Amino acid sequence: MDGPIRVHALLERLEINRESVLVIRGDTLVTGDVQLHDDDEVEIRPVVSGGAA
Amino acid sequence: MKCRRCRAPAVIDVRRHNAGFCRDCFLHHCREQVRRTIDDFDMVHPGDRVLVAVSGGKDSLALWDILRDLGYDVDGLYLGLGIGEYSDESGTYARAYADERGAKLVEVDLPTGSRVAHRAPCSACGLSKRHLFNQAAVDGGYDVVATGHNLDDEAAVLFGNVLRWSTEYLGRQLPVLPAGNGFVRKVKPLVRLGEREAAGYCVLAGIDYQVEECPMAAGNRHLGYKEALNAIEEQSPGSKHAFYFGFLEKASPLFTPEAASGQEQLQQCAQCGTPTPGEVCAFCRLVERARR
Repeated sequence: MDGPIRVHALLERLEINRESVLVIRGDTLVTGDVQLHDDDEVEIRPVVSGGAA
Repeated sequence: MKCRRCRAPAVIDVRRHNAGFCRDCFLHHCREQVRRTIDDFDMVHPGDRVLVAVSGGKDSLALWDILRDLGYDVDGLYLGLGIGEYSDESGTYARAYADERGAKLVEVDLPTGSRVAHRAPCSACGLSKRHLFNQAAVDGGYDVVATGHNLDDEAAVLFGNVLRWSTEYLGRQLPVLPAGNGFVRKVKPLVRLGEREAAGYCVLAGIDYQVEECPMAAGNRHLGYKEALNAIEEQSPGSKHAFYFGFLEKASPLFTPEAASGQEQLQQCAQCGTPTPGEVCAFCRLVERARR
């Protein structure tokens, strides 16, 4: 996906609920208003776990 | 976005609090949420020995770390569930945390290993865990078992219990269950933190955890409830907190008498001695079925 794009907009475009993930750029977390660029390495890490116990 | 406490650049936003935090202030925020929960619900008493149920996932490792930071006398308990590579990997994370920080990790394997875990759905896995955690705590002389159930977990369970009006379960859905009848006290100090915060805590505190989800949980009802609640939360931040804490404050007392009357009728399991309403407890019946 091409940048620049804000984290929130990226998640919206991917139809990912922002409550269900963390976004990591390089080795640190980023907030929703951060602008991502073409050469950024971004991990969208799910945080929802399923055990009901 | 700036950190709410120190105005440095924020690295994580928590929409429920309408706030962003830098690394250090976020770690402080998480510890304060846990400290407040423990105090408000009188979860841990002076001199108590605490056993944290550790899965190798974000919630239990964050909880263990925070309790250690807060100065509690706390050890970890890892339960090997025998779910193939998933369990091998989860154990690796739990052991690595303990080794790197000089913490004590007690390890217990599920009797009959993977046969229980593979045959059983999530509810039976939960049943086994509750039984073995309590047994390990009693055997080790611990006063409290702490689990990493977070706000999302509790809100999803509440959602399911309300959908089916499972009144006895509603009566027992409390962040602290007192000791008695052969059970040690059970506490859930993370109920004021969402699972996104627990994951963020681990990332920012440098705790490696198992990101991969349990393969047995895929598509289960609990995940569906979480998805539904997150859809609401996205539109209206704070909904999960209001739902769960509103229940505790306003509705929970209506259901506790029914749950308490069920507890009064317990007798000792003929096989393991655990309190049970029947002759043989649900855990021993489960193990028996898995052995066949």
